[in-house]
Amino acid sequence: MRQRLSSGRFWLMACLLGIGFWQLGQGAYIPAKAWLAQELMLKAWHRAGEGVAQAVPWPWADTWPVARMLARGGEVDMIVLSGGSGRTLAFGPGHLNASAAPGAPGNSVIAGHRDTHFRFLKDLALGDTIAIETVDGVLHEYAVVDLDVVDSRRSSLLLDSDDTLLSLITCYPFDAQEAGGPLRYVVTARKKNQSE
Amino acid sequence: MARQNSKRNKPAASRNATHWHPPSTALPATNTLPRLFRRQSRWAWHALLLLVLSFQPALLRAQTSAQEAVDPGQVQSGSLLLRMANGYYAATALDTNVTMRINGLVARVSVRQAFANTGSEWAEGVYVFPLPDKAAVDQMRLHIGERFIEGEIREKEQARKEYEQARAAGKKASLVEQQRPNLFTTSVANIAPGETVVVEIEYLEDLRYTDGLFSLRFPMTLTPRYMPGAPLPDRQGSGWSADTSKVDDASLISPPMVGHSAHHRMTLEIDLNAGMPLDLIASRYHPVTVTENQGRYRIDLTDTTVPMDHDFELTWKPVALAAPRALAFTETVDDEPYYLLMVMPPAASNDQALLMPREMIFIIDTSGSMHGTSLAQAKKALQRALQGLRPIDRFNVVAFNSRTTPLFTESQPVDTRTLELAGQFVGALQAEGGTEMRGALEFSLQRAASESHLRQMIFITDGAVGNEEELFSLIERGLGQGRLFTVGIGSAPNSWFMRKAAEVGRGTFTMISALNEVGEKMDRLFSKIEQPQVTNIEVAWPASMVASAYPSTVPDLYANEPVIVKARLTGTPGNSDTVRISGNTMQGAWHDEIVLKPTGDNEAGVTRAQANSAGIATLWARARIESLFDDARRGRDPVEVRAEVVETALTHHLVSKYTSLVAVDKTPARPAGDPLRKDQVPNLLPYGQSANAIFGFPNTATNAAQLMQTGCLFLLLAITLLLLGRRQRHAAAA
Repeated sequence: MRQRLSSGRFWLMACLLGIGFWQLGQGAYIPAKAWLAQELMLKAWHRAGEGVAQAVPWPWADTWPVARMLARGGEVDMIVLSGGSGRTLAFGPGHLNASAAPGAPGNSVIAGHRDTHFRFLKDLALGDTIAIETVDGVLHEYAVVDLDVVDSRRSSLLLDSDDTLLSLITCYPFDAQEAGGPLRYVVTARKKNQSE
Repeated sequence: MARQNSKRNKPAASRNATHWHPPSTALPATNTLPRLFRRQSRWAWHALLLLVLSFQPALLRAQTSAQEAVDPGQVQSGSLLLRMANGYYAATALDTNVTMRINGLVARVSVRQAFANTGSEWAEGVYVFPLPDKAAVDQMRLHIGERFIEGEIREKEQARKEYEQARAAGKKASLVEQQRPNLFTTSVANIAPGETVVVEIEYLEDLRYTDGLFSLRFPMTLTPRYMPGAPLPDRQGSGWSADTSKVDDASLISPPMVGHSAHHRMTLEIDLNAGMPLDLIASRYHPVTVTENQGRYRIDLTDTTVPMDHDFELTWKPVALAAPRALAFTETVDDEPYYLLMVMPPAASNDQALLMPREMIFIIDTSGSMHGTSLAQAKKALQRALQGLRPIDRFNVVAFNSRTTPLFTESQPVDTRTLELAGQFVGALQAEGGTEMRGALEFSLQRAASESHLRQMIFITDGAVGNEEELFSLIERGLGQGRLFTVGIGSAPNSWFMRKAAEVGRGTFTMISALNEVGEKMDRLFSKIEQPQVTNIEVAWPASMVASAYPSTVPDLYANEPVIVKARLTGTPGNSDTVRISGNTMQGAWHDEIVLKPTGDNEAGVTRAQANSAGIATLWARARIESLFDDARRGRDPVEVRAEVVETALTHHLVSKYTSLVAVDKTPARPAGDPLRKDQVPNLLPYGQSANAIFGFPNTATNAAQLMQTGCLFLLLAITLLLLGRRQRHAAAA
C-alpha cells in the first residue's frame, strides 16, 4: 500500500521538479540571452565599423546593430539593434524604424526591456549624458531633458521634431511582475551643442 | 522648472507603491498555511518565503491596475514628445440611439446622444464622433427631461461664443461643430450630477447606388489618425495629439480611445421605403431582423444594442426588372425648384473589356493603425489584385508607413518571377509606424508615365490621417492621365478620405471591412476598372432656365455607376420641359431625357419616376458647399469661398466648416459657486485594432520574473511533497 503511494508520489514529485526547473531555466535563459547577445553584437559592431553593411551579429539574425549606446560613465555600454519587435528586444534595445536615425535630426526612438537592457533607465536623472555612437564612428552626445510616465493607450509617439532628440522607452513600473502593462517610462534627451 | 519637479515626484512615488517587497497585507495569509510546516521549521520558512514570492504576481497585478487608474490623470504631460489625453476616466458616459427613415434615394437620420453624468460634480461633456461623409447636418435639439430646445445655425465663432457664455452662466447648452466633413464635435454644458442630457442631431444624405445595389453606411467610431508635421506650442483642444504644423487642429480630432466600455452602446432602427420591389436587404457587419409591411421594411438590430466599435452598413437590391434607370426628386423652397437626378447609362457588355495595357501601381498602407485585422484584409486584397494582372500589364507595389518602400524602382512586366517577388513582399509586410502618405503618393504619381500603358493606382488604406486636404491637392496636381482608386480597409475607415481621394483621382472607391468580402469586392473593382468608361457626360437643362448644378462637371463614369446631379433652377418648369443627359459609351452616343414637372408620388415598381421629396434643397446646399471647397483647393480665393459657404449654410441651416448649431436654455441650472468639470468623452477603439500598434509603443517587458516564480512554485510543491512523505514515515516508525 505504502509502496504504491510512494511510487505515485515519486512521479508527481519528478513532474513538479521537472516543470519547476524548466520554468526556472526559461526564466534564467532570458537574461542570459540578453547578456550573451550583447557580447556577440559588440563583435558585430566592430565588423560593421569595418564597413560590412548591415553586419548581422549571427548568421540567422533578422536584425543588425545600428548604434552603440553609452551611459552612466561607461557602466552602460550596449548595442542598439534595428527594429522594435519582440524578437529583437530579447537581444538588445531596438531602434524603431519609423523614427529618425540615431544621431539624425528628428526624434530617434529606442525601446528596451525594463528588466534587462533598459533597467538602468530608472537611475537616469535630468541632465545625465547619453552617448550614441553611430555606424560611421561618430559620437553623438545627448543630455536628458525629460522623464515621464505615459499611458500607451492614450499617447502617441511623436516622431517628427525640429530638434535632434533621443527617446528611450521601457515598460513601467520597473518592478511589476506582469508583462504587457500599458504604462511606459520615457526618457527624452536632447542633443548637446545644437544651435538653437 | 517647477513643472519638472512635480513630474519627477510622481514616478518616484508610484515606484515605491509597487516595490518588490511583499506588502504587509500579504502576511495574514501565511497564518492559514498548513500545520505541516510547524516542525521542520527551517524548511518550512524557506518554503513559506517561496510561496509568498509566488503569490507576488497576483498582488502586483492588483496594484498595477489601481495605479493605472490614477497615474495617467495625474502625470500631466508637458513633455516634448508625448501628450496625455485629459479626462480619460470621464465620468460622463455616452450611449447613442439612431433612427433612420429612408425614402427612395434619400435618408433622414436622427442620432440621439445621451450624456450621463455619473460623477458628483457638474460636468461638461465633449464628444468627437464620425458621421457619413456626405451628411448634411441641419438640425440639433437639446433635450432636458420632457422639454427640448431647438438649435440655431450661427457662424462658428458666434456659436461658440453663445455656448461659452451660457456655460459660464450655468445654463444648459449644446453645440455641434464640424471638424471634417465626416467628423463632428458635440459639447454639452452643465449636466447635473446624476443627470442625463440628450443631444439629438439630424442629418440628410443621399444614398450610394452602384453595381445594382443601394447602400448606406453609418460609422460608430474613428480610427485614431496619424498627424504629420511638427508639434505647435499652443493647442485648441484636449485630444491626445498636439496641433501640428501640418494638421493645425490635430488636438480637436484626436479624442482619447478606450478598449472596453460599459457604455458606448448603440440602438438602431430603420424604416426603409425603397419605392421599388426588393430582392435582398442585407447588413454586412451586424445581424438584423427585417419585417415587411406593404412594401415598406422595418430593420432592427438582432441584438438590442451593439458596441460602437465598427461601421454599420445596409445594402438593398431592387428586383432586376425594377432596377431604376432614371429617377428625379424635386422640392420647391422659396419658389425655387431643387432637383436630385439619377440616371443610369446603359451597361456595357462583358466582351468590351479594356484591351489597352495598364501600369498598375498598388499602394499599401502598413502604418500602426493597420495592425491586426486591417492588415490581414489589406494583404488579402493585394494578393487578390496581383492575381487580376494580365500578361500585357506592368505593375509595382509600394508599401509605406513612416517611409516608402517600393518593391521595384520601376514598374515591371507581369511574369512568374515578378509575381513571386511581389507575393513574398506582400507576405512579409508588417504594420508599424506613422502614416506618411505623401512619400508613397509622390513616388507613384511622379514616375514618368508611359505612352502605351494607362496608369491605374490602387490605394489600399484606412485613411487614418489628419492632413486629408494636403493629400487631395497632391493627387489632383500629380494625376496627369493616371487614375487613382481607393480601397478603404478596417472597422472604421475614414470614408471622406476614400471618396474624395478617388474623386480627385478620377477613380472610384471600395470599402472592405471583413476578410470574407475581400474576394468579392476586389473582383468587382477589377471588372469595373477593366471596362470602358462613359465619357463626355453633359446635362442640358431647358434653355429658358438658369441652373446651378453640382457637380458642375460630371466625371467620367465606371461601369454600373449612375450620373447623380443636384440642381437649383430659376423659374417653374412647364409641362414639356425636360433635362437631357448625354455621353459617349463604347456602343456610341447615348442620351436620356427626364420630364421636370413632378407627376406624382414616387410609385413602386417603376424604373422612371419623378416625385416630390423633402430635403432635396438641403442636399443641394451640401453639394454646393463641397464644390466650393473643391474650388478653394484649386486656387480660388479662400475669403470668397468662405463668404459663399457661410451664406449657403446659414440659408439652409447647415453645419459646415464655418457654421455650427447651438442651443441654449433660458434659465441657469448650475448654482453660481459650484465647479464645472470638463469631460472629454472617449471613443471605442475600432474592432480588431491595437492601441499599442497605433500609438507606436512596443512591448518592453519580458516574462522572466513570472517564469522564475512559476518555477519556484513548482519546486516548492515538490519540497512540500517530500516533507509530507518524511513526516508520514516518521509517524509510521513511531
